[in-house]
Amino acid sequence: MQSRLLHTTPVTCRKLLPSTPQFWPQYNDVVYPPREPGLPLRPAEITHHVSNVKYSLRKMWYIAAMIRGMSVDEALKQLSFIERKGSLIAKEAIEDAIDIAVSSHNVEFRSNLWIADSFATKAIRHKGYRKTALRGYKIIKYDYIHYFVRLREGRPPKHYFAPPPNGHEKMAEYLQQKRNRRIIKAL
Amino acid sequence: MPAATHDIGWVDQADRAESKPLLTQPQLGVLWSVQQRNGTNKHYDPKWRKLRAAKVIKIDLPNYQRMRREAAMSPEEQRSKMKKDGQAPPRSFTEREIILACTGAIMEPYEPPKGDSVLSSLSGLNIKGLSDKGKSMNAVRKIKQYEDDFSVSEFPSLAQEIYLEAHALLEDVEKNKDRLHDLVTEKAYPDMVWKLKNKTFRWKFVESLEPAKVVRVRAGNAISKENMFGQVTVRFHTQQTLALYDRFGRLMVGSEHLVKDCLEYVVFEKHLSEEYSEWRLHAKIFPDWMEPKNMPLKTMKKPDFSGEEYQEVEEDEADDKAVAQTA
Repeated sequence: MQSRLLHTTPVTCRKLLPSTPQFWPQYNDVVYPPREPGLPLRPAEITHHVSNVKYSLRKMWYIAAMIRGMSVDEALKQLSFIERKGSLIAKEAIEDAIDIAVSSHNVEFRSNLWIADSFATKAIRHKGYRKTALRGYKIIKYDYIHYFVRLREGRPPKHYFAPPPNGHEKMAEYLQQKRNRRIIKAL
Repeated sequence: MPAATHDIGWVDQADRAESKPLLTQPQLGVLWSVQQRNGTNKHYDPKWRKLRAAKVIKIDLPNYQRMRREAAMSPEEQRSKMKKDGQAPPRSFTEREIILACTGAIMEPYEPPKGDSVLSSLSGLNIKGLSDKGKSMNAVRKIKQYEDDFSVSEFPSLAQEIYLEAHALLEDVEKNKDRLHDLVTEKAYPDMVWKLKNKTFRWKFVESLEPAKVVRVRAGNAISKENMFGQVTVRFHTQQTLALYDRFGRLMVGSEHLVKDCLEYVVFEKHLSEEYSEWRLHAKIFPDWMEPKNMPLKTMKKPDFSGEEYQEVEEDEADDKAVAQTA
């Protein structure tokens, strides 16, 4: 008997990935305890997503990756220069997220937000058919995507990704590389 | 040899218009004839294009974005869209809820005297008890028909218990929902929990400055004569602290350490006709002369009145004025 057919827990106990439209909005329900006086205030954080859009995941990757770590105003400006469907998807999602942040998450200034996360995942797939030779059929896949975005209050960080190594770091890395060598037939 | 004719009557109009039949068709016999592409990447003879397309079985791909957009339409937009599409208006199955366990209003609400909140012993407004004895005592008699041990002098202690527990339960509405519905009526519940979702609410009762007093009692029926409700207005003069934090633990309003004097007129209600009903918190009285409380200030965008629609309105108003002046 196949073990995956044996369910010992209800379906609701299924563990969801964070990058799913079911899980992603749940970040908006997290309530943090009141901040102790003297500690820095916690920046507001809002998640939003657009689910099941007819677009290519691989094309969306470039657009989603480009705006990471930008302020929302900068991201919207950059997206407006890309004449692709993906930029419209991202733009719409970010604009909606800003509106939600201001209306229901106690964010005061709508420009004071930056894009902490921006990515796309595979969504539903519809299948069509086309005829081939010898009365054959082949499946055409019509793929959809989900687009996820997370905004954080404040100014964007100087380095969203790891900063490029400076000269000293490069030197240290080079020396380490040399020391890691295995010199055959040496002492 | 003439070019073969095809039963697919698909001819590119653009190609025909260019009137270059000799160049656009393959010249048999000339082996190295170059295909004329006219600067495009299209095949010079698009006859197979149609046939290739015919091999694909068409399916209706759902447009989830459009579906979402239509679901989020306002009723007015939906109506105009359905009118445009020639669809009949939908039948609405949403029915209005009627709650019979409580009334939706306050019977003859008590009007607090102005200046009561300053200091009752110095202002000369010493509110001793029932404001209008005749009507209130009539109501007390009616309530006693249903509840033998009802007494105006003992009611404030019961009222204070209900008041304190109900407010303390607001710290975690989701968890205390059931108990809260035992203590407050269906009218008061939404007023009390409004916008408390995903926020941290800290409320503390410090002390009573004056003992709670009953200032008004009313009894009346709703729908039918036997369906009796009793309402008692109680005056609380207390000290409390209140703080509201947003989802990220940032203070929105109030303070946990600042004790404030609080004067309230709270209405309690009981469904007298029902044997197992209890006294519940029903409403708070906000007099007209009360100043609005300090709410969290938010930055708003200044509206732009330079658009066409606003200018039209202004012009209309100017025209109206001119007409009025001439008349």
